[in-house]
Order: sequence, then structure tokens, then C-alpha cells
Amino acid sequence: MAELRTEEFQVNMGPHHPSTHGVCRLVLTMDGEKVVAVEPVIGYLHRAIEKICENRTYPQCSPMMDRFEYVTAMSSDYVYALAVEKLAQLEVPERAEYLRVIMLELNRIASHLIFWGVTAMDIGAYTPFLYGLREREDIIDLFEMTCGQRLTYNYIRIGGVSRDIPKEFEPKCRAFIKKLRGKFSDYEGLLNENPIWLARTKGIGVLTPETAISYGASGPVLRASGIDYDLRRDDPYSIYDKFDFAIPTQKTGDCYDRFIQRLDEMKESLKIIEQALDGLPEGEIKAKVKPKFKPPEGEVYSRIESARGEMGAYVRSDGTTKPVRVKLRGSSYNHLALVPEICTDVLIADLVAIFATLDIIMPEVDR
Amino acid sequence: MTKEELKDKVLNLSQGMLTYSDSGVFDLMFEVKPENLTKAAVLLRDHEELRFDFMNNITGVDTGEHFEVVYSLASLSNKTRLDFKVVLPYEGAKLESLCEVWKAANWHEREIWELYGIDFTGHPNLTRFLLPDDWDQGHPMRKDWDAPDFVRMPEL
Repeated sequence: MAELRTEEFQVNMGPHHPSTHGVCRLVLTMDGEKVVAVEPVIGYLHRAIEKICENRTYPQCSPMMDRFEYVTAMSSDYVYALAVEKLAQLEVPERAEYLRVIMLELNRIASHLIFWGVTAMDIGAYTPFLYGLREREDIIDLFEMTCGQRLTYNYIRIGGVSRDIPKEFEPKCRAFIKKLRGKFSDYEGLLNENPIWLARTKGIGVLTPETAISYGASGPVLRASGIDYDLRRDDPYSIYDKFDFAIPTQKTGDCYDRFIQRLDEMKESLKIIEQALDGLPEGEIKAKVKPKFKPPEGEVYSRIESARGEMGAYVRSDGTTKPVRVKLRGSSYNHLALVPEICTDVLIADLVAIFATLDIIMPEVDR
Repeated sequence: MTKEELKDKVLNLSQGMLTYSDSGVFDLMFEVKPENLTKAAVLLRDHEELRFDFMNNITGVDTGEHFEVVYSLASLSNKTRLDFKVVLPYEGAKLESLCEVWKAANWHEREIWELYGIDFTGHPNLTRFLLPDDWDQGHPMRKDWDAPDFVRMPEL
């Protein structure tokens, strides 16, 4: 029998593909159903946020940050505010720091709930998506109650937060914590031991610790590969050193581990929120920042642990009202650069699983 | 390790390759001459007392007088952090690529190449990145580049 001749071919996945979480194009070189090489093509969401910031005063840049990473907009607000506060050596009132931590952790849970649902949907289980968004809705309601916005909060400002929480916030937040704690057994029961789920995720897209570090992977992706590193503990910012929480890690760094990692992190975030609500002091919520705010000359790189990993902001001042340079570093940027490395010789369906569990969102890559 | 200890250690070990710069407000900031870049990077990554194995970020800066490229590094094992920068003239701005030292440098350098026009020798893939494929209007992050309908905000 004559031998079958096979030939490699190229497929464009995206820019409008539901599993690319935004607009990312992956140029795949395929051999049958096997992916031989992947080349991400980015820039479809490039809004030139960094260039726009150079023509605005420091407080005017804050609303731009919500558009940088809109799934955890609190984090991106905060990382910019932190950089400017470091530049100007501003003292932030204690109550504001507590409110920030509560919002950051709530936002982390909201983001992980989306991750949990969307990953499951990408791989073919629809129910978790509905469950995840249902619980996320409660968090979004809490945010709306506080700052009037459901997506681009602009809540964390330079020197503090924009407004105090209303009276109903605390009881509703505590009720939510109790409710979510009760839901985890449902979540775990749905997928964690499901044989189809295990077949799709166990041993797929293994990221070794060496590769992860070299590519600058951070956050849950790094911890799923077994590296115990979390900026909240190892380079503490805000008031995270006052709270007692564990840093979960996994061992192998495959899709399953990255998935479980985020479920574990949600439980720890709930602990932090509870402690912050218990210890919430009275007092001011914002330091005085003049409209003609001029930080002294200098440069700073601030970094925080967002839901996806290390989020950073480099801000440089020349002593005027406008920044010379604002550079935003999103963890998805480094995670997307990883995709060509770990997606060789996998099935196209596994590529979707790997892309989903790295939790890449495109606004953070393109800025 | 405190900041002062780290500063002394880096200055001693680098034998003049890295010099201290006081422009860093919060973390340590050093300056490196372009010709020493790769050597300094390898030292920072591999020396057992420094171990800066994690590259956070690379930023291109146009100060209005010259270019600067700022590298932010962290050590996962020692839990330390530092920045260092390279000052480059506008004319013929060129640097060695650090892709071989930290793989994370690849995309960051590609972005700086595209937005500032700084060349990275030894980079495997300097091609269009964030801008459209048919872009021919120069390097938009330079200070002398403005969009056609741009209006500068007045100084407050």
C-alpha cells in the first residue's frame, strides 16, 4: 500500500474566537490535529494607554487604569496609585488601606470565579459558568453599592479611596462570605473528580518551574508549578503583613493544578476579607491630594499580586504635573509569551485548555 | 538582606560595571554602560549571593534628552528586588538583547524596538508587534511623535 503523504498547514485561531478571551490571534502550524507551532499575534486591543497617560495629570491617569485590566480593575487602580504614592511618599490613612484590601480580595475572588466558569466552558462543561457568574454577581453588587460602578470602578485613588463603604456593606459582605464558603463543596463536586475533566486537564500543558521563572510567569501559574512565592507575603505592600493567610501551592504545573490552585486561593482570600472587616478602623479615607499634584523627580516600579499574577507599574516623574512615563506590566503579557513554549505537540483541544488555565486576558497584554 | 547590604554587595561584586544611581525612589537603582549589559545581567542572575532569576519588566523611556532602558529584576529565593538602567543617545540607539539571559526579555524588547526604535542586537524576532502590520509612521512612544489630531493638554 502506498504511504500516505501528510503535510503541515496553517490555521488562524482568532482574533474572534471565544476561547481567546478578548481578541488574540494564534497562528497555528498544524500536522493533522496536532499543533506543531503557535505564534500569538497581538495588538488588536492596543489603546495606547501609556501614551495617553503622558498627556494627563497624575490624578487624571487613574481612570485609564481601569481599562488596563478590567477583570480585576481594583488591582490595576491600586498598582498605579501605589507607584505614585511611593514617588510622592504619601501617607495613606489606615482605614483606606483596610478598604483597599477588602476590595482587592473581593475582586480577586470575582476574577477567579470567572476563571473557574470560563475555563470549564472552554473545555466543554457549561454549568460552572452559570454558577461562577451567579456568585460573582454578589461581589459586583457590593462594588456597585460602594462606588456606583460594576466594571470600571476607579475606586482606589492616589492617597486613598474615592468614598467610604455604606452601612449595609459589612452585613452583606459577611453574608456573601458565608454563602460562598457553602458553595465550595458544590464547586468541587462538579469537576474536581470528574473523569472527563481529569482526562482533559491532568498532565496537559505541564509548565516546569525553570521555564516558568525564565519567562517571568507569576501568581497562580507560578505557584501551580510548585514555587512558593506570593508578593502579598514576600514583598508585602499595603497592610497584608497584618493578616494571617496561607499560600497554597501545587506540584506538577499542569492544567489541572492551575485550575485547583485558583479554587484554593479563593478560600484564603475569604479569610483575609473576614480579618479586614473585623479590624476595620474608623477614620479618614483619603490623604489630601491637590489638583496640581506634583510628585518629586524620580522613578519607581511598584508591583502587586493581582488575580493573574504580578501586576506592575513603572512611573517616572520630572517634578511637573504630568508623568514622563507610565509603563504597565501585566502578568498575561508574560503568560502569553509562554504559550509557544508549552503548546508544541499538543492537540488543538488541549491548546484551548492551556490557554484557558493560564487565565490570559487581552487588555492586559495590549494596553 | 537590607537594601544597604544589597547595594554594597552589588557594588562590590560588579567591580564597577554597575554604579549606583539616586533616581530610584523606592527600590535600588543602578546604572550600566551599554557595552557591559550582558555581562552585568549574567552576573546578577548567576551569582549565588544575588540570584536575580526573575525579570519583572523592561521599560523604554524617552526623557526628552536621551533614551533610557530600565530593567526591573527580582530574586525569588532571596526575596530582593532591584532596577538598573542603560542610558542611550537618540542617534543609533542600540543594545544587546537579553533574551538568552531571561526569556521574558523577548517580548519586552520587541515592544521597545517597535515603540521607541531602539535596536536589540541578537534578538530572534524583531517584527511588528502592537502596531498594525502596515504601520509606517515612525515610533509612537517617542516624545517628538504626536498623533495627527493630537491636542496637548495645557500645563496646570
